[in-house]
Amino acid sequence: MTTHPGSAGDGQHPPHDHDHDHDHDHDHPHAPIAQETEPSYFELMETAIRELLVERKLFGPDEIRRQIEVLDSRTPALGAKVVARAWVDPSFREKLLENGREACEEFGISFYDDTELIVLENTEAVHNLIVCTLCSCYPRPVLGLPPDWYKARNYRARAVIEPRKVLAEFGTFIPDEVEVRVSDSTAAVRFLVLPMRPAGTDHYDEEQLASLVTRDAMIGVIPVRTGQETA
Amino acid sequence: MSQTENLVNRLPNDIGGLGAGQIEMTDHELLPWEKRCHALADVLDFHKIINTEEKRRGVEALGTELVGKLSYYERWIVAFANILFQKRILAPEHLAVKMDEVQKRLRDEAARAARAGL
Repeated sequence: MTTHPGSAGDGQHPPHDHDHDHDHDHDHPHAPIAQETEPSYFELMETAIRELLVERKLFGPDEIRRQIEVLDSRTPALGAKVVARAWVDPSFREKLLENGREACEEFGISFYDDTELIVLENTEAVHNLIVCTLCSCYPRPVLGLPPDWYKARNYRARAVIEPRKVLAEFGTFIPDEVEVRVSDSTAAVRFLVLPMRPAGTDHYDEEQLASLVTRDAMIGVIPVRTGQETA
Repeated sequence: MSQTENLVNRLPNDIGGLGAGQIEMTDHELLPWEKRCHALADVLDFHKIINTEEKRRGVEALGTELVGKLSYYERWIVAFANILFQKRILAPEHLAVKMDEVQKRLRDEAARAARAGL
């Protein structure tokens, strides 16, 4: 999987400070433009397919932009709110474990896709981990898009056969007496891990609890920790 | 088990349980076209043109070499093109003509922007 360091608009790179070839011949400084390099073959394909399908009225000209807004609105902060609510509200927790999608929808998180959500509760006896061995299925309505490592070969191949070793690479060591349960997602069924509430958080309110819950904890590769604890 | 038998039992996506290297904790912000490609996948699904499982199989049908060499969203967009051809929604020649047209348009826009001193 290719990574693009510095592509997140970090502003650290002056536009003409690098030494690769330019296909234009002026050398005055200018603000970075939206498309500094020629679009790739695949980018051209994306634009061409989208435009052809819009021309053929298979979907509206505004639908891609609107869906990008939906994608941008989904982040692990939503999942964190769900987890915090489950920690403070036993009836919500029960409902969440019974039917993840319905509970999330009642909580105000819409599901824009046609997927079921199964919430897996970590306990003193069971640690859950989620993966999609065949592809990259993920609970996107509540967590947003998956990280690259989740989509990459090594995690997909190994999570189901040696989960404890995989967890150890994330710095997570599960005691032998705790069962590690790995759930393999499909196009139709997605999973979300409900992590254990960390000790020493009895006085935290729901918002403070939510701020502790990270994406990786809801994938199951790390536990939820309080700020005081070290990894 | 023979090598060829292995190829039949395991299609390119079916890698669960195979040995592999250390997890690389990588992540990147999606490029604009990658995000558009993801949104396209969702919109194709909403309109029942290509669903998630068809997309997955479309990626698998690219075969091991393409699956190994193309990036994540490159695999998706090529799979979409192939599925749209198979469903006779688009024809390869239409896509080729449109890609040329898009390339020319983007080049013209870039040239105009350069002339305007942007």
